[in-house]
Amino acid sequence: MSITVLKAGLQTTLQGAPFTGHRYLGMPAAGAADSLSLALANFLVGKSLDAIAIEITITDALFQINEPCSIAVVGAAEHVRINGHAVRQHRTLKVMAGDKIDIGPSRPGCRTYVAISGEINADRLLGGQSTYLAAALGGFRGRALRKDDVISLTPDSPVTDVERITPQNLKLHYSDDLVLRIIRGPEAANTHAGALTDLCLGPYAVGTRANRMGLALEGAPLSASNSTNMPSAAVFPGTIQLPPSGQPYLLGPDAQTTGGYPRIAQVIRADRHLIGQLGSGSRVQFVQTTTERATKIYREKLSLLSSWLGQIKLW
Amino acid sequence: MADEQPTIHSCDDWISITLPDWKAVLAAQAALSANDHWTEIVPGLDSIAIQFDPALFSPDEAASLIADQLDRAVHTTTNLSILTTIPVCYDAKLAPDRDYVARELGIAVEALPSWHASRQQRIAMLGFMPGFAYLESAETCPAIGRLANPRQLVKAGSIGIIGRQSCIYSFDSPGGWPIIGRTPLRLFDPAKSQPALLSAGDTVRFESISKEAFDHWPQEVEE
Repeated sequence: MSITVLKAGLQTTLQGAPFTGHRYLGMPAAGAADSLSLALANFLVGKSLDAIAIEITITDALFQINEPCSIAVVGAAEHVRINGHAVRQHRTLKVMAGDKIDIGPSRPGCRTYVAISGEINADRLLGGQSTYLAAALGGFRGRALRKDDVISLTPDSPVTDVERITPQNLKLHYSDDLVLRIIRGPEAANTHAGALTDLCLGPYAVGTRANRMGLALEGAPLSASNSTNMPSAAVFPGTIQLPPSGQPYLLGPDAQTTGGYPRIAQVIRADRHLIGQLGSGSRVQFVQTTTERATKIYREKLSLLSSWLGQIKLW
Repeated sequence: MADEQPTIHSCDDWISITLPDWKAVLAAQAALSANDHWTEIVPGLDSIAIQFDPALFSPDEAASLIADQLDRAVHTTTNLSILTTIPVCYDAKLAPDRDYVARELGIAVEALPSWHASRQQRIAMLGFMPGFAYLESAETCPAIGRLANPRQLVKAGSIGIIGRQSCIYSFDSPGGWPIIGRTPLRLFDPAKSQPALLSAGDTVRFESISKEAFDHWPQEVEE
């Protein structure tokens, strides 16, 4: 069983669960940039919520299905077509050998997930299969998919008899204007408290330096300390760093594990999946909350989602 | 508890603790790793961060559990520092910045390998890329400026130096540290049970090898 890539687009990779437990060795999380869209897509084809799927970024992509299977599309794509006919996202789609799946460009938003009922044969390492591009590890030979690549599926992958439609109230609204809730980072506790307050004043635009590693934010410059003497310390996806330029930098799923810039803020776990929908030109407004509220928001979000998806984890 | 009160900062799914020095960081890492409560335990140069599942622990619960585990850390001594010898070829073809570095150090370029090999270094931290090692030497050394224009491609195994700090690139990547040589050793192999060749706290000694030896270095031999 297999799927052929007819048009790969800007950056299409195999992504599922992030790598965990290896940051102390310098191994980043990688994994789906938008863990919620991935989970919704995987559920529609009866897969585990963090199974490997195809992550498509910004531009359109085209695939040919080589054996009958079920697929589901969830994300920012403005259209989905099978053999030229428009179909809907958020539902199980039965496809036949030879069917061509056209995923439209992301508009608005940035990423779209195509889940497949078959098990994708992705490279396996450190307990995961997601693609980590910078070190060419995992996924499809460690790299983004190209035209004519053939994604192989485990031969005896059963055609799922699951047929589902995401409930209306759980469908995500994709937008180029997002609000992200943040909490104070370690270096905002004393030295950079002012920068944190100012970060929440106006919206920031995502600059052209925008990829899975991080997003350069453009807006009113924040007062950064001139000192570059901060000893390197751990950072995580969703950490907002403040380089000497005063332009904040928001870390993504592929972010390195340690950094030497002040960590002024952290996007709360409940909102972190939205970072995957930010692309160059998006605008983001930060709103400060507390760690106590962040925990509550995350648990309430999981509780809401679990009514449909069962036990779920976001990252 | 340690004599110096550590600074604790809680985010919603990770906690950062500032510690007095790298020995305290290693002791904390050892103590915390003995439990399976934590998603990630990441040493920094003078801090450690612990990531947890916020569905299981509130930040307060995690912080108090961490404090309990660190209380026991002072009784754990981790002086099992491993000495690893790293072969390095200082040939000009593999060391594009050796003239620049020798000039900054005020030594002849021919003396660079023995100067570098004479300095014992400690792995301060892994980061940047899987297995990428930051090293620190206890001896004084003039600061060496980073490259004005970072390279698009630094080859895996390259040794960079900016003075007391040096680094070993684990994968081909962009980079701005002046390069004085390259090791044929593979720093990160995900297929191995211990994927990273080096760990924070290890001591490293460099050993000069010829270009011939570098080119014919057996690839799957472990130290």
